[in-house]
Amino acid sequence: MATTIRMPEVLAGAEEAAIQSWSVAVGDTVTVGQPFAEIETDKAVVEYAAETAGTVLQLLVAEGDAVDVGTPIAVLGEPGEAAPEGRMAPVSDEGGDSAAASAPMARDAAAAPKPQETRAEASGSQERRFISPLVRRMARERGLSLDDVEGSGPNGRIVRRDLEELIAAGIPETAAPATPAVPATPRVSPAEPAEPAGPAGAEPELIPHTRMRRTIARRLTDSKARVPHFYLTADCRVDRLLELRRELNATGSVKVSVNDLVVKAVAGALQDVPEANRTWSDEGVLQHRTVDVAIAVALDDGLVTPVVRGVEGLSVSALGRQLADLAERARSGGLRQHEIEGGSFSVSNLGMFGTQEFSAIINPPQAGILAVGAARQAPVVVDGALEVGTIMTVTLSADHRVLDGALAARWLSAFVARIEHPLTILA
Amino acid sequence: MARRRRLEPAAPWVEITTTAADWKSADPALLATMLGELHLIRSFEERVLDLAGEGLVHGPAHSSIGQEGGAVGSIVGLRSTDGINGSHRGHHQFLAKAITHVSGGRLDLEQLVTPDVQTVLQRTLAEILGLAQGYCRGRGGSMHLQWFEAGALGTNAIVGGGVPLAAGNAWAQKHSDTTDVTVTYFGDGATNIGSVLESMNLAAAWKLPVAFFIENNLYAVSTHVEEVTAESRLSARGLGFGIPAYRVDGMDPLAVHLAMVEAEQRMRAGDGPVVIEAQVYRYFHQNGPYPGSAFGYRSKEEEAQWRERDPVVRMATELTRLGLVTDDQVEAVRAQAVAAMDAATSELIEADPEKEGRRRIRPELWPDPEFVDVGIRGDLGELEGHRALEPLTDTRARDEVKFVDAVAGVMERRMAEDPRIIVLGEDVHRLKGGTNGATKGLSTAFPERVLGTPISENAFAGLGGGMALDGRFRPVVEFMYPDFLWVAADQVFNQIGKARHMFGGDNPVPLVLRTKVAMGSGYGSQHLMDPAGVFATSAGWRIVAPSSAEDYVGLMNAALALEDPVLVIEHVDLYSEKDTVIAGDLDYVIPPGTAAIRREGREVTVISYLSMVRHSLEAIEQTGIDAELVDLRWLDRASIDWDTIEASVKKTNAVLIVEQGARGTSYGGWLADEIQRRLFDWLDQPVQRVTGSESSPSISRVLERAAIARTEEVVAGLETVRRNAGGA
Repeated sequence: MATTIRMPEVLAGAEEAAIQSWSVAVGDTVTVGQPFAEIETDKAVVEYAAETAGTVLQLLVAEGDAVDVGTPIAVLGEPGEAAPEGRMAPVSDEGGDSAAASAPMARDAAAAPKPQETRAEASGSQERRFISPLVRRMARERGLSLDDVEGSGPNGRIVRRDLEELIAAGIPETAAPATPAVPATPRVSPAEPAEPAGPAGAEPELIPHTRMRRTIARRLTDSKARVPHFYLTADCRVDRLLELRRELNATGSVKVSVNDLVVKAVAGALQDVPEANRTWSDEGVLQHRTVDVAIAVALDDGLVTPVVRGVEGLSVSALGRQLADLAERARSGGLRQHEIEGGSFSVSNLGMFGTQEFSAIINPPQAGILAVGAARQAPVVVDGALEVGTIMTVTLSADHRVLDGALAARWLSAFVARIEHPLTILA
Repeated sequence: MARRRRLEPAAPWVEITTTAADWKSADPALLATMLGELHLIRSFEERVLDLAGEGLVHGPAHSSIGQEGGAVGSIVGLRSTDGINGSHRGHHQFLAKAITHVSGGRLDLEQLVTPDVQTVLQRTLAEILGLAQGYCRGRGGSMHLQWFEAGALGTNAIVGGGVPLAAGNAWAQKHSDTTDVTVTYFGDGATNIGSVLESMNLAAAWKLPVAFFIENNLYAVSTHVEEVTAESRLSARGLGFGIPAYRVDGMDPLAVHLAMVEAEQRMRAGDGPVVIEAQVYRYFHQNGPYPGSAFGYRSKEEEAQWRERDPVVRMATELTRLGLVTDDQVEAVRAQAVAAMDAATSELIEADPEKEGRRRIRPELWPDPEFVDVGIRGDLGELEGHRALEPLTDTRARDEVKFVDAVAGVMERRMAEDPRIIVLGEDVHRLKGGTNGATKGLSTAFPERVLGTPISENAFAGLGGGMALDGRFRPVVEFMYPDFLWVAADQVFNQIGKARHMFGGDNPVPLVLRTKVAMGSGYGSQHLMDPAGVFATSAGWRIVAPSSAEDYVGLMNAALALEDPVLVIEHVDLYSEKDTVIAGDLDYVIPPGTAAIRREGREVTVISYLSMVRHSLEAIEQTGIDAELVDLRWLDRASIDWDTIEASVKKTNAVLIVEQGARGTSYGGWLADEIQRRLFDWLDQPVQRVTGSESSPSISRVLERAAIARTEEVVAGLETVRRNAGGA
C-alpha cells in the first residue's frame, strides 16, 4: 500500500514551503526518523524526518519548488517495494490543487535551472555535511549560510578556520538592515522556463545568490517577521549643526561629517535616556553600559554594519577617524570579526543619495535603528514668521519588546535636542 | 636423627568458662544491666525481622538473634570513650554500645526504658529503615551504623573492612595519653581475609589497645568454618602474631565479660592487643526471618541444640537462681522491651491507606532526595584563616632547591607547626627519607611521628583511615608506588573515600595519601601507573598533582589543612629537577579551584598536570602551535578549576588533554566527557588526548618508552589538533 507524503506545516503560519533539497532518492528505503528533505519556508530551513517507513516510489516536487502546505510531495511504497518504471499518479490524493505539484519531478529536474549548483550536487550524492559544534553555533547566531563553504577539517568538516576565512573575505555575518526593501529570495518554478513567456532574450537573467545576499535575505526577513517594529519620525532643524561643522572643519585637521555628528548625537541621546540602551534576549532585557553603535556601510552588492564601541567616550574627531577607517575596510573586505558583532543601535544614513526620509529594518539583536534622510531647505515657522531653514528628517525603528512608545519618543526628543543644540554633542 | 626441640607460641591461649562461684560473685547490678540489654536487643531484632517480613526494610536485615551474649558481655563494661566497630551483622553491638553510653552502663530493670534508651531504639530502627532521623540520616542503614559520641565508630559491609580502621582508632587512643581501648567485631568468615590478619600483625607490632573480637557463629553465609580453614579454633589466629588469645562461650554473657575484663586490663596497661573468640550461633539465615535449616546447609536439630543455650534465657535463669529476679520480673523486662519497640515502630510506621491491612513507612520521614550527594566531602570552610597565595604572581626572592627537598621541607615545616601530623609508610623512616628522599630529615626531627610500616598496604592505609576518623591526628600515608592502591583498594576507596558520605556526611576524614608516579624508572607493569584516573572517578577523594616545587608547597599545605582525604601525586622525574621555592615561605596554601596558566595561547587549550606540564611546554615550543597550557594542580571533580578551563576553551575552541599513563585507567576520560557536555558549542574539533598505550609499561627500556607519553607524544597530539583545525 503506497502512502502519500504531504508538505508538512513545518512552521506555524507558513502556508507554503519549498523543498530546498531531497535527502532521499527514488528507490531508497527510508526508516522513521531518517532525514527526508530539507524544507525551506520564508523563515527557516528545517530538516524534515520521515514519519513513515517505506521505499521511495516518487518524488513529486523538484528541489527549489514551493508548494502549499498539504500538497503531496512524495509517494512511499511498502519496504522493499521496487520503484516503478513508469510515472505514477500520487496515491489517494483527494482533490486540492495538485496538478502542478504532482507533476513528476524527474523531467523537471533535468530541465529546470538549478537554483544552486552545489546544492543540487550535494543532494545527489546524499552526503552529510560535517560542521564543528562551534561553527554550527556561530553560523546560527550570525545568520551565516554555510551552503557554499568547503570544509577543510577531517571528513570535510567545516571548522572555525573555514568560517574565519569566510568572514575575512568580507562576508558580513550581520546583514545590515538599512536598505528599506530587500527582495525576497527569487524562487524559480521549474515550470516557467519550460514555457517560455516571450521571445528569447526577454527572459530574466538568473543571478545566483551570493552568501551576502542570502544572509541579508535571511536576517532581514527574520527581523521583520520576529521583531515587532514601530516607527517614529521627527524633523530636526540642522542649521546650527551645519554651522558648527563648518567651524570645526575650518579649524580642525580632521574633517567632520554630518554623519559623525549624528552618530555622536545618537550616543548622547542614549546616555540621556539610558533606558533606551537596552536589547532583548530570551533570558531577559540586557541593559548596556556602553554605547556601541553600528553604522550601515553600503557595498557594491550588499552592505555591512561595523560597530563603533564606546562612542560616548570618543571625541567627534576620533569617532570620525574610526568611522572612516571602518568604512574603508568594509569596502576592502578587511573587517575583523569582532568589529561586526554586537552593538545596541544602528544608524543608516541615505542622505547622501538625496533620500528625504525612509524607515529601516532593525538589525537583531539591536533594539533600534535610526534612518537619516538628507538635509534640505524647507520653509519653517519661527515665532509666527515664515523663514527658510535646513531640515533633516529622521525615523526611528524601535523594537517594541524592549522600547515602548513613550520611551522611544523621549529618546527621539533627546536626539533632536542634541542635534538642534549641537554644542551638547561636543560636550 | 636431627635433634628436635619443641617451640611454644610467644603468647598465651586460654579458654574461659564460668563457674557457679563466678555468677555468685558477679556484681548484681552488672548482671541486671546485661539482662536488660539482652532483652532490649532481642526485642529490637525481632522487630526488625517483622518489618523485613513486611517488606519495609530495604536491603538485607542481618539478624543478630542468638549472638547477643557476645556483644553485651564484652560491651557492658566499656567506657563511652572506648571505641567499637563491627561488620554487616552489627545491630547488637551498636545497640549495646549506645545503650551502655546513655545509661552509664547501669540499667534499672524496673524502669528499663528511659527516654534516652527509647531515643536510641527509635533512631537505630530509623537508620535501619533508611530514614532521615537515623544516626547516619538514613544513608547507612542496617550495615553502616555510626554514632561517634557513644564510641560506635561505624559498622561495615565489607568483611574485615573495619578492622584496620579500628587499629587506627586504637593508635589515636594510645597516643593521646588515654587508656581507652577499641574492640573490633567480625565473624568467622573474616578470620581468613588479609585486612584482618594484616591488622593483627600491625597492632601487635605497635602494641595497640585493640581487641580482635571474633564472633564465631560457624557459618559464613552457608559455608561452615570447617570447610574453609584447617585451624577452626579461630582464636589461634592470634598466636601467629604474638597476640594473647581467649576462647569463650558466647552464649554465656558473663564468661564473655570476664574474658573482656582480662583483655581490657592488658590493653589499658599498654601491653597491646588481644584476640577473643566467642562461640555464638545465629538462629536465622544470613539475612531475613528464616532459619538457616530452611536453606539446607544445617539441620533443625543443630539449631534446636543451640537455642537451648540461648543467652537471654541463660541470663534470666542465672539471675533467678541467684534470687536477683523473679520470673514475673523477667516477664516484665521483656514486656518493657516489646512496648518500647511498639512505641519506636509507631513513630516510624503507619497503616498504608492504599493497601488494606498493610503498613508503610511514614512518608514524611524519608530523607530529602536532594540530600543524595550532600557531604561527599567538606565545604572548604577549613581553609579560612589559611593564607592563599599564587606563586605565579609572587615576586619575592627564590631559593634554589631540588624538587624532592621541597617535598621533605614543607612536611618538616608542617610537622613542626602541627603535632597532629603523623607520617607512615614503608621505609619512610629509613634510607635518609624513604626510597626517594621525600621524607628526608623527618624521622630525625620527629622520631615518634614517622612510622615505618610492615608491607601491608591494606592495614596501614586503613590504620591511617582510622586515625583520620578519630580526628586527633592527621595521617600522611605513603604508598611507595601507586599500583599498590589495588592492594589497599578496600581501605582506600570503600572505607576512606566513602566514610564521610556513607555515615551521614558530617564526620570528616582528614587524610593525606602521597605516592609517586615512576614511569620511566624501569619498575615494570605493576609499579608504573598514574593513579589520578582511578581516584578521580572515586567520590570522596581530592587530588593534587604539582608540577613545580612552589606549587607542591602550597598544594601540600592545602591538603594538610583540608578535612577531606587528599591524594598527593608526585613524580620521580620531578624529584631530581632543579627548582625554586619562595625564600622563607613554606606556609601558604594553593586552594582548590586554582589552575595555573603556564602559557597563554589562542589555538588550543592543553590541559595537563604533574611532569607532563613540562613535556607539554617543550612540545608547544617545538611545534610552534600557539597553545594555552593549563596546569590543573587540583584534579578531582570537586576541586578542578572550571572557570579557567572554560574561559580558555571558549577562546581556543580546541582541547588536548595530556597525561603520561596507560589509556585504560587514565585521567582524561572523565574530563573529556565533562568538557564535551559543558562546552560542546564551543568546540571546533573533538577533545583530543595524549595518553600512554593500552598496556602497562614493561620493564624493557624500549617497551617502557613505547608505553608512556613524553614530549614526542605531546607533539603528535598537537599535530592532531592542528590537522583537525583544517585549513590544510
